[in-house]
Amino acid sequence: MTRGFAAILIAGGGLAVIPLAGLPPFYESFLYLVFHWIVLATSWNIFSGYSGYFSFGHGAFFGAGMYTTAYLASRFEVPFLSTLPVAAGVAMLLGGTLGAIVFRVREIRGELFALVTLAFTFVVGTIVLNTPIDGGPGIYLSAVPVPAIGPTGASSFYYMGLVLALGTVLVALVVFHSRLGAGLFAVHDDEDVAEVLGVPTYRYKIAAFSLSCGLAGVAGGIQALFLSYVTAGETFSIIVPLTVVLMCVLGGTRHWAGPVVGAAAITSLLYAFTAGNHPVAGKAVFGAVLIVVILFMPEGLLGRLPKRRMVGAYELGTPTNGAIATGSALPVGHPSPTRELLLDVRGLRKAFRGVQALDGVDIEIRRGEILGLLGPNGSGKSTFINLVSGHFRPDAGKIRFDGRNLAVLEAHAVARSGIARTYQIPRPFAHLTVRENVATAAMFGSANLARAAAVRDAHHWLEFTDLASFANALPDDLNLHQRKFLELARALSSRPRLLLLDEVLSGLTPTEIDGAVDLIRAIRDQGTTIVFVEHVMRAVMALTDRIVVLNHGQVIADGNAAEIMESAEVVSAYLGYSGTYA
Amino acid sequence: MALPSASLLAQSILSGLFIGALYGLLGLGLSLSWGLLRQINLAHFALAFLGAYLCYQLSSVGGMDPLATMLVIVPGFFGIGVALQWVFSRFRISPFNSLLVTFGLTVIIESVIQSLWTADFRRLNSSYGDITFRIGALYVPLPELLTLVLSLVMSLAIWATLRHTDLGRAMRAAAQDGGIATAFGVNQKGLALLLSGVCAALAGVAGVCIALSYTLAPAQIYAWIGVVFAAVMLGGLGRALGPLIAGIVIGVSESITMAITAPSWAPLVSFSLLIVVLLVRPGKV
Amino acid sequence: MNRIVRQFAAGVAVLASVFAFCTAAAWGAAGDPPIRIGSTLALTGPLAATALVHQLTGEIYVEQLNRRGGLLGRPVEWIVKDDQSKPELARTLYEQLITVDKVELLLGPYATGAILSAMGVAQRYNKMLVHHTFGIPNLAKYDAQFPTWSLGPDPATTFPNTLFDALASTSKPPKSIAIVTSKFPSVHFMSLGAREVAKKRGLSEVIFLEWEFGNRDFGPIAARIKDANPDVLWVGAIGLEGNQLLDAMKKIDYAPKFHFYMYPAPGPMVQATEAKNALAATIFEQDPPFTSNPGAAEFVKIFNERAAKAGLPYTGVETQAAASYSAWQVLEAAVTATKSLDDKVLADWLRKNRVDTVQGKLRFDGPNNYGDDLMRVKQVQNGRWVTVWPKAYAAPGAALVLP
Repeated sequence: MTRGFAAILIAGGGLAVIPLAGLPPFYESFLYLVFHWIVLATSWNIFSGYSGYFSFGHGAFFGAGMYTTAYLASRFEVPFLSTLPVAAGVAMLLGGTLGAIVFRVREIRGELFALVTLAFTFVVGTIVLNTPIDGGPGIYLSAVPVPAIGPTGASSFYYMGLVLALGTVLVALVVFHSRLGAGLFAVHDDEDVAEVLGVPTYRYKIAAFSLSCGLAGVAGGIQALFLSYVTAGETFSIIVPLTVVLMCVLGGTRHWAGPVVGAAAITSLLYAFTAGNHPVAGKAVFGAVLIVVILFMPEGLLGRLPKRRMVGAYELGTPTNGAIATGSALPVGHPSPTRELLLDVRGLRKAFRGVQALDGVDIEIRRGEILGLLGPNGSGKSTFINLVSGHFRPDAGKIRFDGRNLAVLEAHAVARSGIARTYQIPRPFAHLTVRENVATAAMFGSANLARAAAVRDAHHWLEFTDLASFANALPDDLNLHQRKFLELARALSSRPRLLLLDEVLSGLTPTEIDGAVDLIRAIRDQGTTIVFVEHVMRAVMALTDRIVVLNHGQVIADGNAAEIMESAEVVSAYLGYSGTYA
Repeated sequence: MALPSASLLAQSILSGLFIGALYGLLGLGLSLSWGLLRQINLAHFALAFLGAYLCYQLSSVGGMDPLATMLVIVPGFFGIGVALQWVFSRFRISPFNSLLVTFGLTVIIESVIQSLWTADFRRLNSSYGDITFRIGALYVPLPELLTLVLSLVMSLAIWATLRHTDLGRAMRAAAQDGGIATAFGVNQKGLALLLSGVCAALAGVAGVCIALSYTLAPAQIYAWIGVVFAAVMLGGLGRALGPLIAGIVIGVSESITMAITAPSWAPLVSFSLLIVVLLVRPGKV
Repeated sequence: MNRIVRQFAAGVAVLASVFAFCTAAAWGAAGDPPIRIGSTLALTGPLAATALVHQLTGEIYVEQLNRRGGLLGRPVEWIVKDDQSKPELARTLYEQLITVDKVELLLGPYATGAILSAMGVAQRYNKMLVHHTFGIPNLAKYDAQFPTWSLGPDPATTFPNTLFDALASTSKPPKSIAIVTSKFPSVHFMSLGAREVAKKRGLSEVIFLEWEFGNRDFGPIAARIKDANPDVLWVGAIGLEGNQLLDAMKKIDYAPKFHFYMYPAPGPMVQATEAKNALAATIFEQDPPFTSNPGAAEFVKIFNERAAKAGLPYTGVETQAAASYSAWQVLEAAVTATKSLDDKVLADWLRKNRVDTVQGKLRFDGPNNYGDDLMRVKQVQNGRWVTVWPKAYAAPGAALVLP
């Protein structure tokens, strides 16, 4: 981050001197326009690029800021610079309110979110056009004095634009390296997993969205004075967000400086063709350039390489059957299962569109034990895990974890209390490296580490699960077994007190299973209580202290392995009939 | 607010229905390529206008019947769509990259249109424009009726194909998971070419409808993007009937507003309604 | 490694574009003997349709001027940049014209928004701005700006009176009026003015509707107008809106009685059959007495030829082309009279003198440098625009045709 910081400061210093160089003021105005688009693109990227929630509403907030400044400066003669914080505030409030409402609705993601923001733009535009805010004639600002920041009027705008651009890029850089940024990138790849991992997705999205809108609002305020005549016309349309999307995609949405490059490139290119004798042909060339660039650089000009291979991983012949680096595990004694109650589930019910997945389930989980959760397919095992980890809310029942009722908590708070889970089909964050995947959990889970500490801590867990040599690889580079261990490492790095494993052994070879069993035992030996959903019977036999069997959403057996095997009900649940086999 | 007469209201609803049908027709190709090919094809609008200009040229200058121009435009555009997809399939493009690429394409097509036909306004004057049917107190103009019929027919045909034929099932499978579909013998590349051709042909048909009812100018390409995107997203990506139904919802809600109160409030009503629907029932149309 | 290469490539790409643009910008930097006149026009974008007319007019004028020996004995060069219909670009390009290209004189861009931006720049650098398509006189506050579209300082009052005078002079003066208008700034305030004037003159307003600029569906509006059945329909329309409304009215089988359109695109309106007898505002048409104005007849002839050659569907000279040509005439007159290129000297001269143009005699000594209201009323008759009022300016033998 210091490198980025330094780069911004140096660029800023260099740019600050330009007006003093005595160049014709036109260059300052042109650069102001570049700064203006840098602000719009970067502010958009802080929320939409990082989190993947592409907003088509940037025009609404830009316009809100523009009209706030125009209205205050011309009707109430508020000094121009004082209107800017108000413009930011209005835009921020607008964005924050929209976000607070929309983010509550889980299904509004992807293109539906884009649609809501676009519709919002039209709504705001119509209100502005039909009320005394504008009402039709537009607002004329030529009577508003331009603050004398630089030697000339053009340089004043230049400096205002420069300061705002530097500020916005700095914000983007800081967010990029912060917890907020880490959370947003996790949301980008898999929001549900991020939430269950402990990322407070609702709060983070509102925060980033409001920030993005506020910055756009200030840009609008300055632009109002630059244009000195403000009309609703093109402001509240899809054109501004579309342009901004193009700039960010061109520059690369996953990097804090991507929008800067994209905005500068597109603004300059568009401009380069206005002076020529053939503006129509020039526009066609501009289009061709865009096409060629993105076809050959699909991640954008500053994009990350899609695949970064750690050559060493294969060369060193790393054992891929999951041998444990026991040396790096935390040495603890072998705690035997206590009678102390860690998780107390009473009367848990959950239905999905008419199918009663859980029908009044009572389960007790004692501290330090490995509880096996068995049952035929569709018996409710995964639902149980989903409810306990906070992925879904129960229809009825209580889930008491160390005295607290989890059923009323948000999923990220559940993770914070010390519960972690793995997914049967691994769901790693596809665009984050293996190390970043694990670090995210360390940051947001009950371990709650600072970002730098989390990255360091991740290394320990990668060694524990023997993935250290893949630290900089992307999850796509791993095979299934490695991805399952990544799930484990990620779950462990949040230092959970209760670990829910959902069919972690499915798809593994017998040797790999042996290795995994040893690993799981080592985890329990560190003091973690484990709920272990599995079909591989020999693993169940080897590991579990106690077994609970579900069938059709109800508990049909609860005891040790030997008792379960002899229960007629269990046999019939699995095999379909009771009685002797012929 | 003036309470309108029944026939005024009915005529307005009809008007909204017609423009909604055009939104749907324009949106159909966009929705299919977005939902099934994972491409956000901004150039769809430019292609539609190219089709409109070609229809204008072939009828006004070439003397062809405007509807007959479809015989030239539809196969021609099908070819263009196939060619474009053939080029793009050589590269790995994410949906938002495709937005950028197709934007570049849009700008190129707009420049071509402007250099061939100048920026000045062009209006196709056909006999179709003069024919209006009367159903009771309601007027049903022929070009708008044609647009509605074409939009309905295209949407239903594609819906039926996707739902009930093997080809359609193969396309939906390829869209959901290309790798697996190929493993099951689905020719994903061929289907993508076919689908792209169909989308471009749909753009051409939409263009003919635009030429029949509207005056053309190159910059008009951008005037439709906002509302058609809204219709496409509201109707659900890749759903053949989605854009039509969503377009009609938007069009009719705006026209009812315009009949009852100040017309400049119309977008507020339609888009607020849209937001409310999304918040309350995001399961879509 | 690859990442560094990428970033380097990115940096190079950005630098290359900036450089490309700088060289393009620098082309204009050299210039000694010719007098350079700079302006922007919307050569691309939504306003391009009408900007074409201004481009053509300027080219014709500069050719004629150079054939006459140029200005002050020097050839004249017109530098036009494309502002892509965006006021923010217009503003910046005018700054480029002044500070980088260092043009001697400025000419205005197309349309109110861009002109306002240009005006701000001109004011900052104390350059005179002669412009030809500014629609809102009370916003023109710079003292060295000179409008050649002669609306007069208060067109929202003066023009509706002209129109209603014309209607009152017929054998069936209207009693009821419907006012429907776009909210586009330069027509909206005119329509509001028309409302006031109509009230003062005792016309009863049967309906008042506003729509947002960019509205696509005129069906309900047409239906409401038909229901109201006014004697005269005032449509605050700009560009294609008038045609769209006419189309919608035709489709529900309604032909309005007197109908007036503020600023319609001339070609489409005169070519549409349903626009029969539509009225509009004009400062010039290709008929006497306008064609007797200085330069008019020759300009009309050349413009018709060149427009046809350029492939424009409508080749006639009307308000846009005439205002544009007048702007050039004003510039030439001021320079020739003062033998100076100093903006202050030129501006002073213009404020005190009158200039003969294709529109008639222009003066700039009123509020905001506006002079007389030279707007007349024209009507579509047999596929042509024909001036019908005031009688002194009507085409020979022409009169307002009743519905």
